[in-house]
Amino acid sequence: MTRSESHAVQADPASIDTRALLSSARGGDRAAFASLVRLHQSSVYSIGLRMLGRRDAAEDLAQDVFLQLYRRLDSIESLDHLGFWLRRVAANLAIDWLRRSAWSAQPLNEDFPEPAAPQVDDDPLMTRALSGLLGELAPAARAVMVLRYQEDRDVAEIADALDMPVNTVKSHIKRSLTALRGKMIGARLVTAEDMP
Amino acid sequence: MNDDIESRLRNALRRVDPDEGFAERLLAALPEQPLPARVAELRVARPAAPPSRWQRFAAPAALAASLVAAIFLGQQMGAQRYADEQRAGLEASRELMQALRVTSRKLDVAYEAVRDRDAPPARGDDEETRT
Repeated sequence: MTRSESHAVQADPASIDTRALLSSARGGDRAAFASLVRLHQSSVYSIGLRMLGRRDAAEDLAQDVFLQLYRRLDSIESLDHLGFWLRRVAANLAIDWLRRSAWSAQPLNEDFPEPAAPQVDDDPLMTRALSGLLGELAPAARAVMVLRYQEDRDVAEIADALDMPVNTVKSHIKRSLTALRGKMIGARLVTAEDMP
Repeated sequence: MNDDIESRLRNALRRVDPDEGFAERLLAALPEQPLPARVAELRVARPAAPPSRWQRFAAPAALAASLVAAIFLGQQMGAQRYADEQRAGLEASRELMQALRVTSRKLDVAYEAVRDRDAPPARGDDEETRT
């Protein structure tokens, strides 16, 4: 693929030969790399946003993750591996940033933007409140919840991505759900009857 | 219960796009040529320079110095304690001797008093000498 051809490539997963993109990006094609970025940017950016609670920090984190990817393209074996690698690096980098800064002590109070694909039954108040409550969890528990409910990953993959035993992941999920339920009832977002 | 909160979480945590132009900003920050992974790793985690002779011996030397200081301090404290105990012993012995002397003096006085009371009545020349 020449550079001019690759510029014409759009980031629509349905119409892109992503395997060819990966191959071109490995060969130094910056436009192909940009297309790969566009395919995965919402995943990586959202992990950063849910973990760090700030848009500027989320963008910094996403840039850092993709810069690391650019340096390590040779080590990416497949498209599945690419997605896994990005989630793993983003989540662990966010945990690292949280542990090294005062962010972990602050609940997320960012005015979260509307999700990319809003649903009819979406409750913006609930979305914002839940995002805020999620920010009160410890960094590792938060990462587990983000990978589970934002990225829809199973416990085995989360355990692999975060280098923790499967039972620890299950325990984080169970305890976090209980804590979130309690906080939601405490904040009167729902009643105990809503979630018996 | 969990199903409900899980569906709410999935709704709340749907993916969000970064601000417009994210990929372009990223491209602007990319180096001209991607570095091979191994070179990049070397650059990021450049091996530290070999430690100098001073650095190599600094830790054992510090440990040895601490050990010597601890032994010296221990000896000093022991000697100090021994001197204190000795001083206290001498003081106690001095006080005992003083107490014995006072007691002995009081006993002398008592003995004199008893002897004077039991002695036969004094004669005239005795009275002269007594006065």
